[in-house]
Parts: sequence; C-alpha cells; structure tokens
Amino acid sequence: MQNLIMQMLEGTVTSLQVFFLTLLFSLPLGFVVAKGRMSRNFLLRGIVNLYIQIMRGTPLILQLIFVYFAPYYVVGVSYDRFTAVIVAFVLNYSAYFAEIYRSGLQSIEKGQYEASKVLGFSKTHTFFYIVLPQVIKRILPSLGNEVVTLVKDTALAQTIGVSELFRVAQNAASRMFSTMPIFVAGVFYFVMNYIVSKLFDFFEKKLSYYR
Amino acid sequence: MGNLMIKAENISKSFGTLEVLHDISFSLERGNVLSIIGPSGSGKSTLLRIITQLEKADGGSLEIKGEYLFKDGVYSKTEVQKRIGLFTGLVFQSFNLFPHFSVLRNITEAQRAVLKRSKEEAEEKAYALLKRMSLADKAKSYPCELSGGQMQRVSIARALALDPEILFFDEPTSALDPELTREILNVIRSLAEEKMTMVVVTHEMNFAKGISDHAIFMEGGYIVEEGDPISLFEHPQNRRTQEFVKSFE
Repeated sequence: MQNLIMQMLEGTVTSLQVFFLTLLFSLPLGFVVAKGRMSRNFLLRGIVNLYIQIMRGTPLILQLIFVYFAPYYVVGVSYDRFTAVIVAFVLNYSAYFAEIYRSGLQSIEKGQYEASKVLGFSKTHTFFYIVLPQVIKRILPSLGNEVVTLVKDTALAQTIGVSELFRVAQNAASRMFSTMPIFVAGVFYFVMNYIVSKLFDFFEKKLSYYR
Repeated sequence: MGNLMIKAENISKSFGTLEVLHDISFSLERGNVLSIIGPSGSGKSTLLRIITQLEKADGGSLEIKGEYLFKDGVYSKTEVQKRIGLFTGLVFQSFNLFPHFSVLRNITEAQRAVLKRSKEEAEEKAYALLKRMSLADKAKSYPCELSGGQMQRVSIARALALDPEILFFDEPTSALDPELTREILNVIRSLAEEKMTMVVVTHEMNFAKGISDHAIFMEGGYIVEEGDPISLFEHPQNRRTQEFVKSFE
C-alpha cells in the first residue's frame, strides 16, 4: 500500500508538471491569440478563428495523437513524448483562454478607454493599469472553471505514453486485480482541484472590494 | 493670439454617409463660458468629442491656444496633438471613473503617469480638490460606494487635477436626479466665477442662461443660432430655436 502511494505520488508529479507547464505557456499565449481573434486584419482574424474552432471542435485526445504522430508521418522525425503533451495542451488551452480573455476585454466599457485617452494615458498604461485589472476580475470565474478542467485533462497525457497519475493507477489496478487504486487517484484529483478552487475563491474575494 | 482659446473654422464630420457636422465655426476667449444646446443627435456631443480628440474631424480647422489641432482637415503631428490634449479636460455624462481605483487614486493616477508629479504632490492636489468638492472624507472610498452626484464631482476633480486650461462638460447632469443636478451645477458655477474657460453641453436652460457668456443652438449638425445667452434663450430669432427653448418651459 505504501509502495502504491509512492508510485502514485510520482505520477502526480508528472501530472503537475503537465499542469504547470501548460498554464505557464497558455495563459500568456491566450492573450496573443485573443488579440489575433479581435484583429482588424481579416486574414489574421480568419486564421486565428479557424485555429480556435479546430481546438474547440475536436477532442483533446485526438489532438495529442496528432501532435505526437504527425511530424513522424510528414517528415519522418519523432520527438519526446512529454514535449508533445505540452505542445498539444498549450495549443488547446491557449484557444480556450483566448476566448475567455476576449469575453473579458469586450466587456470593458468604451468610457474607460475614453477617460484614459482624455487624461493622456499611453496605450500601454491604459491596458496594464486600467483595462487588465478589470478584465481579470471579470474573467476569474470562467478561468477557474478552465483550470479545474485542466487538472482532470492531464489524465489524457497517457494516450501517447506519458505515465501520469491516472496511468499509474490503472497499472496498479490491473496488477492488483482491484479498482481501489483508481479511486485513490480520484481522491488525488479531488484534493488538487479543491486547492485550485480555494485559490480562485481567494483571488475572487481579494478583488471583491469594488462594484 | 491674445486671449483666443478655441478657434473652430468650418469643422465637418461624417459617420459613413451621415453628415453629423456641417461647417461648424465658433470661437471662445479665455475665461468665458460657452454653452451648447440642441436636441439629441444635433452633433453637439460629436463637436465636443472632436475638440477633446475622441473623434477625428473630416474637414475644417481647429486652433487651440494658437496651435492647430488640425488645419483644413489635416491633423498636426502626434506631439502637437498630445500637447493640445493637456490643455483640455473633459467631464463625461456617465462619469467614467475607474471602478478599481479609490477616489484618491482616480485623481492622482494621471497626475503621476502623465504629468510625472510625485506621489506627495499628486495627493496634496487631490486632497485640495476633494475638499473643494466637499468630498474630503471620501478619498479612500471606491466609486461604487458613491452617489451619482459624488461620482460626478470626483470626475470633475479628476479633470481639474491636470490643470486644464479649457474644461468641457458633455451633458454632465443628464444621468442625475434634480437634487444631484443642482449639486453639480453649483460646482460648475463656482468654476465659472473663477473664470475657468469652459464649454458646456447641457439641457439645463436656466443654468446655461445664468453662467454662459455665449450660447450656441445646434440642430442636424448645423449651428442654427448663436448669440449672448439672454437673447438666445429669451428672444430666439429662429423658429426651431423658439420651439426648442419653449419645450423646456
């Protein structure tokens, strides 16, 4: 039993690596995608829109397989599985985050930009000090939703052979002829997401000092 | 240039095929108050937004304190536009305060970011203005905790903090009930007594008559009639002005 827990903790480390690396890249990248999605250039807007549609319109499990195997079939090179997982997750989550950012950006009243312009703020100052803080407050609930989903989605990394928490649990289950490890894994996911939710609650409270 | 603060010549503006301003010309001297009245859609707000650089004009010329913002429809360089922007302040109908900043920071932010004043200097200025607006005790409050009249007074303080030479008001009381309206009108009146140069777009006829040196009646993008406020409001010559003024009695 102790051995099992140790193995599952190791798997959890891999799951957490996927989780944090995905957030590290997709949270900022989502902003770039959102900007492209709102661009006045119709070609750029069209391409970004198509990308978002594909990411949202096909299963993540399929995207994982595609990202890992497509380079091999097209140019004959294969690469690290873990890297492939991160690439697929970042591509997928950037698209979702982009749509959340867009909803937030578009909800900011025109008057906020006008007041900033009249007061002489630069575009950068307006974005970072006036717009962004208000956007963050507004999108926090949807962002929390997405991050909780990401914790659970890390289980898909095993599709291309990355041994994360859920794969470890399944292996143990077949070794032990028992579903118990699967339920233990469930507890692990639940605890991780409990922490994520509490963290988001904390930030929401911190930002509830206005309106 | 003497005391000429604004000189507008033949300003025109269209949104698509809709012409919202035709050949608008007027001038304003230092220390004077100009009021602009007219029905909704007459172009008065657009005119204000062109002078405060929230919209671009299509044609005509505009000089502010002897510098061209645009001449024959061609805009000056960005630095000139910015410099002119510092002369002008605008108070919005819907306040547009920054909800995530305290009242104090609403007033200090631009002083620090744009005028590069020190924190102490900016706060000193802000407290002086808040005192003047009878809001000294609200410095640490957030806009959502204020009444409409208080919010509008904060937004006037925010504009005044940058020491503008001309202050523009775009229907500053239209979002307020009569009592709060009086509150705001008193503030504007006291600014007029101090010889602040101002342009006020308003529906408050009696107020406009009381404080302005000059009044303009606009309709359909034209200046239909203008003159000193007493004659414009009490003896309008144009039939449309007569109807409009009468509808407020």
